[in-house]
Amino acid sequence: MINVSNLSLWFHEDNDKPIISNLSFQLDRGETMLLLGPSGSGKSTLTHCLNGIYPRELDGKMTGDVTIFGQSIHDAHPGTISKQVGVVFQDPESQFCMLTVEDEIAFGLENICTPPLEISRKIDEVLQMVDLIDDKHSVISSLSGGQKQKLALACVLALEPEILILDEPTANLDPQATQEFIKTIQTIKQKKSMGIIVIEHQLEGWVSFIDRSFILSKDGKCMYDGPLARIISDNKESVLEEGICLPKITKLVLTAAEQNKAAYISPPLTIKDTPSLVTYMDNSFLEKTIPAAHQADIILSASRVTQNKKQKRVLHQIDFDLYESSFVAIIGANGSGKTSLTKVLSGIEAPTHGDILLRQHPIRNWKEKLLRKEIGYVFQNPEHQFITDTVFDEIAYSLRLHPYSESYIEEKVHYTLVNCQLQGFEHRHPYSLSQGQKRRLSVATMIVDEQKILFLDEPTFGQDAASTLKLMQMLKERHAKGTSIIMVTHDMDIVDKYADRVLVLENGEIIRDQSPDQLWKDSDLRRWHLDYPTRIQLQQHLEVNQHDFAIKST
Amino acid sequence: MTSLLNQLNPSIKAFTVILLVCLLTFVFDPFTPLVYCLFTILLTFVCGKIAWKRYMLYFLIIILLSVGMLWTTLAFADEPNRPHDTMEILFWDIPKEDVTVALALTLRMLAFASLSFMFIFTTNMVHFILSLMQQCKLSPKLAYGVLAGYRFLPLMKDELNQIRAAHQIRGVRRANGIKESIQQYKRYAIPLLAGAIRKAERTAVAMESKGFSGERQRTFYRTFTVKWQDWTFLVGMLLLFFIIIMISIKLGYFSWYKGQF
Repeated sequence: MINVSNLSLWFHEDNDKPIISNLSFQLDRGETMLLLGPSGSGKSTLTHCLNGIYPRELDGKMTGDVTIFGQSIHDAHPGTISKQVGVVFQDPESQFCMLTVEDEIAFGLENICTPPLEISRKIDEVLQMVDLIDDKHSVISSLSGGQKQKLALACVLALEPEILILDEPTANLDPQATQEFIKTIQTIKQKKSMGIIVIEHQLEGWVSFIDRSFILSKDGKCMYDGPLARIISDNKESVLEEGICLPKITKLVLTAAEQNKAAYISPPLTIKDTPSLVTYMDNSFLEKTIPAAHQADIILSASRVTQNKKQKRVLHQIDFDLYESSFVAIIGANGSGKTSLTKVLSGIEAPTHGDILLRQHPIRNWKEKLLRKEIGYVFQNPEHQFITDTVFDEIAYSLRLHPYSESYIEEKVHYTLVNCQLQGFEHRHPYSLSQGQKRRLSVATMIVDEQKILFLDEPTFGQDAASTLKLMQMLKERHAKGTSIIMVTHDMDIVDKYADRVLVLENGEIIRDQSPDQLWKDSDLRRWHLDYPTRIQLQQHLEVNQHDFAIKST
Repeated sequence: MTSLLNQLNPSIKAFTVILLVCLLTFVFDPFTPLVYCLFTILLTFVCGKIAWKRYMLYFLIIILLSVGMLWTTLAFADEPNRPHDTMEILFWDIPKEDVTVALALTLRMLAFASLSFMFIFTTNMVHFILSLMQQCKLSPKLAYGVLAGYRFLPLMKDELNQIRAAHQIRGVRRANGIKESIQQYKRYAIPLLAGAIRKAERTAVAMESKGFSGERQRTFYRTFTVKWQDWTFLVGMLLLFFIIIMISIKLGYFSWYKGQF
């Protein structure tokens, strides 16, 4: 169906470093392929080549060829390829142009001149397929993130493409919405024999039905094309080096094996396969290493905090004490009030009722300048926080608000640069950094003044394995030095690995406030759209199936 | 209350409103626009399904504005031709001529407002643009661009709030004075524009991936046609206008616009 031969692409005519270089592969009818690679390896660029956006919209140059059903993209008429190749993009906000669900699906069908009667039949059909039929007349902005992605999928399915490309479709979704989306894809795959290409960082769920992987390296070259399990057993070092995310269970087993605490026939890709592929695993590896939070001095406390926005309840009766040097994770479904809670606690937004005390003084009485010396806040989009033109100035900015000497500032900035692995980038413009570097820079600006409390809103979102690891190491170091960290996240493994306390939010209320270990004992986290971390999932699976390969060593 | 007005073809409705606004500018007496304005409001309430609370609020604002306009036209009126022909309003002797001019101007504004509100409150924006594409051959490229932009506005507002909060937490002081304000908005502009361009590009790519090529050849899920009701509305509104003019001539109020202000 798709035939890519020697494809190379440059964004500038004279640039000698291509974005993707010399790629060749084929995708046959009904075949499903995972497209993996670190951030910036050209995955999205390749997508643009496959759906005919490039070379038409390309300013640079392109060599080689892509043919879809024998037709080259070079001489394809705009709009015709979309009938064959459909794409679901990452951002649920920016892929629609109409206001209601049915209009949005109709838009695509109108473009390819489907007769009106046929359109209404197809709308019902695809909405049924993605289970959104009850929302046919809803306004798109009232849908949840997961529903929006399902709608995006429905729009594409309505055009009945032969090939479906999913470009990080679940990156913005909570764990349950992610699982639902993957399940939907799986059902559709069974019904229709489409070719599917999936680009993802989080491989859980996908690997159970996708075998073939096409791996791009940092410089846009093909590193591997074949079953994922094979490259992991043959050459896992190269995969890890490139910063490609492996399924978490695979990571877990590999790390255990490295420490001689596990042995396997071949590396497992799913939890279900683990018992049959892993011959031995030290039980200690499935146990918690982080001690629960100890009660220390309270630095920040909220009592009966309520926040309403436009007569809608966002937060309700929040009581929360933050102890010194703790690591708190805030989890919950999309729209449960996680971000609002951090904004209110950090003094960015005011609560409608209730009090927040920072070091026993009401937060609203604090002078802005002193408050910011105590509390740092890292926003979801790092670019929002950049003010100056160079990385150095960016970090120095908050120090310069105080009467420090320039030499002291310089020393401090260099220390922070090293700490955040940004050395060598001092004179770059913040916008020119990679996603991971931008994220680390935004954290750097918030810790340079030795802030005691640091809030982070989904800091690992959209990052590849390598930059997530770097970021978490950096936060762990800060935490060890006594900074309290409060982090909103969807990633349960991060909660499990780093947090000593976890808050679960539902409809603006804290419904659980305990240690992660206690939370995992809860038998039904799915009612809050949550999931269990990998090690707990594995334990549960072993218990249910009464496997006992896990042996406790002394 | 019926929803007759809401069901009319949006393009014809818009054309009617524009035509009548143009015709009303030729009339310069208080009586004609007053009567026409009252009729339009009545029609809106009887034949339109509208958010009347909001309608009242908006109309109140317009009335306040027009009272202000009435006062300024009275206070800064031209030298009257017959200065002794006066009337007393609130212990204030004003030349009759000036009152007529001021009232004519104010009521004309109210008539314009009532016509525009009749359109705005009974028309779905999306339907209007779809109808423009189907009846007036508006280019789909422009039409869907406007629709996509329409979706963007609330997103942009959210983003500006985010940036403002993000800068505040970096310790950027709240701006004092005009110079600092300008500088502050310059700082907001870069991330806002960067975000907007990126979003716009993503939307464009997504639209193109759905087969949108900007060509005129396409079908429509919601088809808008011009029916006899639409023509009746247009002709009826025009007839109403001429009947009111006839009455106003009969009663001796009528006068053409001769460039007064």
